[in-house]
Amino acid sequence: MKIDNQKNRHVYWNPYFGGFLLGIIILFTFYMTGRGLGASGAMKSSVVAIVDTVTPEHAEANAYYSKFIKDNESPMNTWLVFEALGVLIGAFISGGLSGRIGWRTQHSPKITSKRRLAFALGGGILFGLGAQIARGCTSGAALSGMAVLSTGGFITMLAIFGTGYLVAYFFRKNWI
Amino acid sequence: MVNRKLAKLSKFRYAVLAAILLILSAGLVLLPKYEKHEGINPEELLSNAISPERYITSDQLANRIINQDPSLLLIDVRTAEHYNNYSLLNAINIPLKNLLDEESKAYLYQDAYDIVLYSNDNFYADQAWVLCNRLEYKNLYVLKGGINNWFNTIINPPKPTENMPAEDFELFSNRKAASMFFGVAYPEQAKKKPVEVKKVIPKKIIPVKKKKKMPVEGGC
Amino acid sequence: MGPLIPNGVIPYEWNSIIAIIIGIAFGFVLEASGFSSSRKLAGVFYGYDFAVLKVFFTAALVALIGILYMDYLGYIDMSKLYVHPTYLWGAIIGGAVMGIGFVAGGFCPGTSLCAVAIGKIDAIIYVIGIMIGVFIFSELYILFQPIYEGYFEGNITLMDSLGVNRYWFVFIFTIIAIIAFIVSDIIRKKQKKIFY
Repeated sequence: MKIDNQKNRHVYWNPYFGGFLLGIIILFTFYMTGRGLGASGAMKSSVVAIVDTVTPEHAEANAYYSKFIKDNESPMNTWLVFEALGVLIGAFISGGLSGRIGWRTQHSPKITSKRRLAFALGGGILFGLGAQIARGCTSGAALSGMAVLSTGGFITMLAIFGTGYLVAYFFRKNWI
Repeated sequence: MVNRKLAKLSKFRYAVLAAILLILSAGLVLLPKYEKHEGINPEELLSNAISPERYITSDQLANRIINQDPSLLLIDVRTAEHYNNYSLLNAINIPLKNLLDEESKAYLYQDAYDIVLYSNDNFYADQAWVLCNRLEYKNLYVLKGGINNWFNTIINPPKPTENMPAEDFELFSNRKAASMFFGVAYPEQAKKKPVEVKKVIPKKIIPVKKKKKMPVEGGC
Repeated sequence: MGPLIPNGVIPYEWNSIIAIIIGIAFGFVLEASGFSSSRKLAGVFYGYDFAVLKVFFTAALVALIGILYMDYLGYIDMSKLYVHPTYLWGAIIGGAVMGIGFVAGGFCPGTSLCAVAIGKIDAIIYVIGIMIGVFIFSELYILFQPIYEGYFEGNITLMDSLGVNRYWFVFIFTIIAIIAFIVSDIIRKKQKKIFY
């Protein structure tokens, strides 16, 4: 079994099967809670929580943080934070079952891991910025938005992938 | 043998899946148009309509107005002309023809108040009541007999004759007191001292937008 | 009927528990579909792996068709669902910034969480990056506010903005998606294989 796992480390589900299950999950989420999935919201909550603990006055004064601070509740007490915790658990289970767990940096053989990490940081900053401007990331805005035919969701999706293809050429060395 | 058949089948598996998707989405297009039931069904409407509780008598209403019941919301469904001519204290004018406006909805579609609809008689108020019921608005009442009856009972109560039972006298004195509250002066009272009409502060009714049980939020 | 929690069928207290359960399923499916691998994700932009496109479109289609059928049969009230609000330029500019971030970093927030769970160091850095991004946005909120709050079109759907029947739209969307799947397979065959 162990050898098998070693061999199958990068064998993933059929994408259509994964997509089908993901669609069912989105459907179930809408049926239960009336809202879609999300991911970056949890990170936003974490940032708000960190800033709120470090400098409460500053968080209070800032027009953006103060939107998410309630008097008697931690900013972490939101649906998306719990969902993100679930994502971590679920991904850990799946990774554990197929033997993909381990500290690694994944990158193209043509670049160093330092370069990969630097680009990851830059990409993360941009994505965090963009997700706040668009009020959602690929899961929150694009995927869940598309499921209810939201115009904003479709625009966000087109903008993400459109820009992605436009700039892909400049980053090709990182991936191919 | 089975394996080969399976392999043959699996060659087409994506085509089959795509076909299923297409059929499902085409099914949506081809589905017969289905009118969603807006509002309550006829049976429920009927049972609401024959319920005696939907009427409020002028005495009950006068009582509630005098006690400044905060949960009372009076809606005058007559025309603005009539409304300006005479209306009850703190009433809001929503002429029947404007009943379905977005603005009126803010007043009518709420849980906080008992809404009393009235017109000159029952007629328009009843129609408004049926319409509001169809829209599933809550806590609706109709003033029995409308403004006409209000005049005949509260503002100008008939004096009971001697041979009537004691309750009628009590009712009359109640009504007389109520009418004084509404500003009718009686000569015998005026002699004693000017009736101290309580200054009633006009009630501010803030139309509330109907909130869902839990606002669905989202975003990521 | 549905949605169950906003309609009070299931008490509100269950919300967080359901959130964790949904999250587990979401994380499991994402990871098992290979979304914890940034090179697999980035493949969609270079034509060597179209898993993102396939998973993404299949999921959207399944959810969309499912919701419409449930709405039709009366199990779910579509008007009660949360519709992502449309801030026209916010969506475009934000999407464009996210697009660059996606190609540079190779993750999106959901997939980066999956990758964090299985110990990818680049994903951990990426999540830290996202948090820095959120921090920058919040600190410079006054600068971004006109885009963030401007051009608000309401919680509109494509039906409102395009004026098409939603069933027809879904049908056409399905055809587009299937064509995209076929084309993506053709492109992938032409690209040289990349092992990661």
